Amino acid sequence: MPSVTDYCKTIEKNDENLFLTILMNIWCYGTLLLWTTFGILVFPFVFALCLLFLRWSADKLARWFIWLYGRGWLILMSPFVRFRREQMDQLEEGKPYLFVVNHLSFFDTYCMALLPVHDVSFAVRSWPFRMFWYSGFMRLARYLDVEGSSWDEILSNCRAAFSAGGTVLFFPEGHRSRDGQLQRFYSGGFKAAISTGVPLVPLCIDGTDRLLPPGRKLLRSCHIRLRVLEPIDTSAFAEEDGHLHLRKLVKGRMAEALKEMRNGKDVTEGGANDAGSAT
Amino acid sequence: MTEQEVIELIDSSLAEEFELDRADMVPEANIYEDLGLDSLDTVDMVIVLEGAFNFKIREEEAIRAIRTLADIHRFVLEKVAEHG
Repeated sequence: MPSVTDYCKTIEKNDENLFLTILMNIWCYGTLLLWTTFGILVFPFVFALCLLFLRWSADKLARWFIWLYGRGWLILMSPFVRFRREQMDQLEEGKPYLFVVNHLSFFDTYCMALLPVHDVSFAVRSWPFRMFWYSGFMRLARYLDVEGSSWDEILSNCRAAFSAGGTVLFFPEGHRSRDGQLQRFYSGGFKAAISTGVPLVPLCIDGTDRLLPPGRKLLRSCHIRLRVLEPIDTSAFAEEDGHLHLRKLVKGRMAEALKEMRNGKDVTEGGANDAGSAT
Repeated sequence: MTEQEVIELIDSSLAEEFELDRADMVPEANIYEDLGLDSLDTVDMVIVLEGAFNFKIREEEAIRAIRTLADIHRFVLEKVAEHG
């Protein structure tokens, strides 16, 4: 891991303002801590009231609260980070989808609050379930533990989420990329989409590796973009090795889209809109 | 096919399917701990090997005991010998 001196040199090299970076870290970590503490303290009362009046299932309500928590994080970060959403109109409201997204940073999950969909069950590895301040909410929201569950359990939970009109999100790389490039894709999400018969939607995120890459603690001002790619009808991949073909197709499309995004190419149709502003 | 050709076909098929680094594919490599495969990949591995060698091996009990790349080499070499 680079020392603080190395880090400062990098910042200077990138013509960034050290004062701004320090201010950003104090603001972002401080408000994140306050926002999380506030959420944990207030959640039980508001959750009980919403259960009573909205009459949603507890897991759906928990996922909505998590999405709202993510939205709050986006607002808190917005003085230092510009968020941009692209091609959100690819998604139809209330339709079940299985999302797959590339993974660059711990904060990728927070950025999923950029999606216009609030009922998202995350498929995650076992370690996030060990973060005691989050695990209760994750279990309440019925997030999928892809390491600690059998394949039948994962599939059954996916079916339950889809039948309730929700969506499921997988990180097909399984872990954060260390160099920003797409890593090897695992098959689970692709098999689940084909088995349950829902459309698969690739998502591409860019910029969170500059915000907070693996192995670093200091946040940096950046632009974050989330692009929705065209949904893929999975019924055409029903043959035995269909998930292998689907996986390759999706990875190719995501690699192409990420290349475009990193070369600064904007979408020409489907629209894009900023969800925050940078300083 | 010679033994070396069979091993090369196994390694190249697995490397392509699972995007493995050929330098990591030493015979003693554990397919889970060293090559990073998971339980679903084991099913895919069977599909890939069946496609590469044109035989059916999914019902074979011996597959469950496979742990290293050398186990795969041994298993496939036996199957290739059986099928003439």
